[in-house]
Amino acid sequence: MTGLLVLAVLATLLAGTCFAVLLDRAQPALVAEFFRSRVETEAPDRLNRDLAPAWYLALAAIGLSVVPFAPGLALIDSPAGIVIWGSCEALIVVTVFLHGWAPNAPFPLIGAYRYAALALPVMLPSMFVLIAAALPAQSLSLIAIVDSQREIWNVIRQPLGLPLFLVVALALTLRGPMDYADGADIATGTSAEESGAARATWYLARAAMLVSVSALAATVFLGGPLGPLLPGPVWLWLKTAALMALTAWLGHHVARPPPGRMLTLLWIALLPLSFLHLAISGVLAL
Amino acid sequence: MLTIGLITGWIALAAALALWLGPKAASTAPQAAPFLGGGTPETHAWQRYHFRPYTMALLFIAFEMEMMFMYPWAVVFVSEGIKALAEMGMFLAILSVGILYGWREGVFRWQ
Amino acid sequence: MTRLARIAASAPVPVFAAIGPGRQAETERLLARPGLRRADTARDAAILLVAGDLPEAAAPALARLHDQLPRPRVTLRWQGEGADETETALTGAWRELCAGGPDEEDRLPDAPTNAWRGVGPHGQGGEGMMGGTPYGRPMAMTGADIRDGLQLDRYSATLGPFAPMLPPGMVLDLTLQGDVICEAAVAEPPFAQPAEADAPALCAARLLRLLGLEKAARRVIGGRRPGALWITGAVPPGLGRIGGADLRARLAAWLADRPVTVPAFDLPALLAGAEWCEAMLILASLPPSELIRAARRDAAA
Repeated sequence: MTGLLVLAVLATLLAGTCFAVLLDRAQPALVAEFFRSRVETEAPDRLNRDLAPAWYLALAAIGLSVVPFAPGLALIDSPAGIVIWGSCEALIVVTVFLHGWAPNAPFPLIGAYRYAALALPVMLPSMFVLIAAALPAQSLSLIAIVDSQREIWNVIRQPLGLPLFLVVALALTLRGPMDYADGADIATGTSAEESGAARATWYLARAAMLVSVSALAATVFLGGPLGPLLPGPVWLWLKTAALMALTAWLGHHVARPPPGRMLTLLWIALLPLSFLHLAISGVLAL
Repeated sequence: MLTIGLITGWIALAAALALWLGPKAASTAPQAAPFLGGGTPETHAWQRYHFRPYTMALLFIAFEMEMMFMYPWAVVFVSEGIKALAEMGMFLAILSVGILYGWREGVFRWQ
Repeated sequence: MTRLARIAASAPVPVFAAIGPGRQAETERLLARPGLRRADTARDAAILLVAGDLPEAAAPALARLHDQLPRPRVTLRWQGEGADETETALTGAWRELCAGGPDEEDRLPDAPTNAWRGVGPHGQGGEGMMGGTPYGRPMAMTGADIRDGLQLDRYSATLGPFAPMLPPGMVLDLTLQGDVICEAAVAEPPFAQPAEADAPALCAARLLRLLGLEKAARRVIGGRRPGALWITGAVPPGLGRIGGADLRARLAAWLADRPVTVPAFDLPALLAGAEWCEAMLILASLPPSELIRAARRDAAA
């Protein structure tokens, strides 16, 4: 069973990454990027530079491992699946920071510090929203959260959850309004000194992360593998694909404020909204 | 144990993939110069970077500790009832005063 | 051509534009076409498009920039041909590169810019707390910050004439603390551009690119609505206020296809103390003609 689930996670990551690349219509550019040569900077941190996309990919895979593919069946069947996902989120911040620190160049460094400053507050609404979804399930396990959605999905009884979590998804996959690490005003930031296979691998890691975070959102808010007629995994894939398309659309069509404004908005708008969401969910769960 | 094994497995697989996909990086000296639109740097980029939102980070730590409290709270919430909601509400209200104070002091203004 | 090479050749052509005097409007319109892509960093580009006649003073910067493009790379000069011809030339050059075509050698010699001076084996050590020149460059030294007085490191660099987030030709001597500009001095004013570069669509597109809306910028240059959300809301109110109109008002005017005029202003005063993203937004929110005038005033002073 474990082997089958490992294959399922791998297959989902591969297929999902291809789907994410198709959503961005970036497949020819990705192929072309692999053919270009790889540039090195002056006195870089070689180990972190080479392994940062690897950590990002690994975190995407670990995040996807806690997602149940069928009711009651997940690769990492932990009573604290939410906590494992939360640690993946926090480590993503470290990974993106290392990616910008490694080249020893001005624009990547600005991108790294800027992302660290903004992704940290984004972790807070993320955890509030996930904990609010854990309240009716009385458990931090994602399998229990899926079970608690048998009558009604969390997106309906906790309506603020999915919009808030989409903001988190944009921040974790470095897209659109939360793309402070690779912004155009700092010459693509942490990727400013990368070319060739390294640049392409970083983009693939971000695509894999999109699969992972969408699968988690589908599990927590849309009921994951629950649904009539079709088998569980197929429902999970459909819901994940829908959320991936929505996140990619938001990434391409919402403006990115300067970091100071986004920081203020996160703390005085998004965080109090997540408090409200938690309060409403708490009252409804009783 | 299985969890740790799986996590280590994913990390090893990802590291192997990244190292296999990427050829060695090599550059001549002019190619290695940092990109500044044709300009020149005067120093290395690594520096004691002035991380502007450091005061915000302190407030973040406070909320992070609150999150740590909420993990077990979420599991026993339904059995504890309205008392648990009131306690969490008080905790959040106290921390929200912190947000208000921080906002008035300008910790969210990137400086 | 192998099958993979054919797929690669169908990608949007990554072009880094080194825009010369008088060619800003045309180059921006050309690179907004589908099939071409404007690279935000030299490492992302395969073709260096040199538009117009660059002055002699910009030649060393162009050589530095050219060497930063990863290989295989090619340089294309756009002197006076039509936009369609240039598009065909760019697409053809990209196809040749994907098929393993010609490559260009470095223009500068392969020698480190500075000697590794110092006491230790990596060039470090020497006088002062962080003396020496490890790996060819000194380490950044401390200085008081202009916002909160903390003594942290100042990073100084010259942001060159072909920085994609600056007006073409503008050379800024910057000192940064973190990502806040402590001092900005105009070393060279931007290249002269015709009145066409002040067109509302082009000015709005510049700002939209900095706000992360690449597709919307292309649509605006094509004459359509941007089709993006929260554009004016994303800009903080009161940013870059000159003579009563702030950045938001100027962006809204350009999106409504109205031209914008600003009274005279002091460029270093606008930039000093501004965070990087806000500083770049301010620079992009000024119509090129007024910005060139202000920069020339400052460079002459």
